[in-house]
Amino acid sequence: MLKIEKLCKTFDHKKILNNIDLTVHKGEIAVLLGQSGVGKSTLLRVLNALETADTGTILLDGKALDLAKIPHEHTVGMVFQHFNLFEHLTVEQNITLALEKVMGKTDQESILIAQDLLQRYGLEGKNDMYVSQLSGGQKQRLAIARTLALKPKIVCLDEPTSALDPLLTTHVANTIQKLADEGYIVLVASHDVALLERLTCSIYLMQNGSIVESAKSDEFKHYKSKFPLISKFVAGEIE
Amino acid sequence: MINFELIVKYLPLLLKGAITTLHIAAMSCFLGLTGGTLLALGQTQSSLIHASRLGKLRWAGSLLNYCISFYITIIRGTPMLIQIAFFYYAIIPALGLQISPLYAAIIAIGINSSAYISQVIRSGITSVDKGQLEAARVLGFSKMQSIRYIVLPQALRMVIPSLGNEFITLIKDSSLAYTIGVVELYKQGITMKSLTFDTMTTFTAVALIYLILTTVLSFVMNVIERKMNQHVKN
Repeated sequence: MLKIEKLCKTFDHKKILNNIDLTVHKGEIAVLLGQSGVGKSTLLRVLNALETADTGTILLDGKALDLAKIPHEHTVGMVFQHFNLFEHLTVEQNITLALEKVMGKTDQESILIAQDLLQRYGLEGKNDMYVSQLSGGQKQRLAIARTLALKPKIVCLDEPTSALDPLLTTHVANTIQKLADEGYIVLVASHDVALLERLTCSIYLMQNGSIVESAKSDEFKHYKSKFPLISKFVAGEIE
Repeated sequence: MINFELIVKYLPLLLKGAITTLHIAAMSCFLGLTGGTLLALGQTQSSLIHASRLGKLRWAGSLLNYCISFYITIIRGTPMLIQIAFFYYAIIPALGLQISPLYAAIIAIGINSSAYISQVIRSGITSVDKGQLEAARVLGFSKMQSIRYIVLPQALRMVIPSLGNEFITLIKDSSLAYTIGVVELYKQGITMKSLTFDTMTTFTAVALIYLILTTVLSFVMNVIERKMNQHVKN
């Protein structure tokens, strides 16, 4: 279980994250919903040690996470909005490089892991292709495969549908749902209502660095009036 | 006008000079590339340290940046001819060293080249998307690993055409080694001229050999560029 308590982050005297409290269980998807600039991505970046929080604690299974060690312990993985795949490497090398150079696995072990992941994410036969030869959806699946290769417990996806054709939203939602089914703790930062509608998840609406309303997706679907702020956001009435 | 028989007769002499020219160019290219990469990394990393507000390290970052900028300004702002002469006739004796004119020329040209190459590579490094470094960091790569496996390969690919120009310039500039007594292609041309008194034939032959060397290098750089950029979608 991931438990975030009283997390704060300030940039140039502006509070980007303001006392964030959030609990996400194993196999659960937490969607951080909100407009651009409300702090969704910053929260994911703090979890991935790309930013440092001013105050607050992050607990995983009751133990405090040392944010400075996150990249070395591979507890958290990140799928970036623009994927940030290594363009100069092949599809397979995008996965094997970290396995070999960071985790110290042999070429053979790394290739086996990469081949398994590529097959699971529908990229079989594309091992020797370069990133620029993949479609948007394929790039995203490769970014997910690259993240999962390091066996993180928490997978963060930053705006997973923003760089994709709207038609791919269902595929992306299925992939994210699959991650949760496999037991990962999944955090998704998104403002895409179409994605939200296709996920079974917990919804956290963020405004000005704070979580202002939360709901379970099933509950929200049936009792929209109980969640006025999320309803307004979904209806496009919150700027 | 041009006496081809003379060219054929003196070709072995000129080719011997051409080999020395290639020797100077290759060695100074190696020095320039190594030094230039280190300078570029020093400059980009010191800028990052400065921008990251890392307390005490911040002034160290600034100092390193100023030192590198000063070095580049001096090297780029003075003629290579003066640098070769200064290095061979002033610095080497002042340090009490004994270095052959050939190696003095290689070092001086290498130092000069490092300043230019550093700026080429720096532009490549700064044009690598910041997201690449973030992805590397999230995947657990150390700073050195990120530079070695992610940043430099992409930066070098982007600057291959400019690096090619620098290498071609090196071949041509190596002729300045003649001024401290290195017997390279141009010096062999001077010898041929003294023996034949045929200026037109001599310098046509010398120019043609330089042209062949730079054309072959240009072709090789094009092949390398195509090979290294095969990941870019047509």
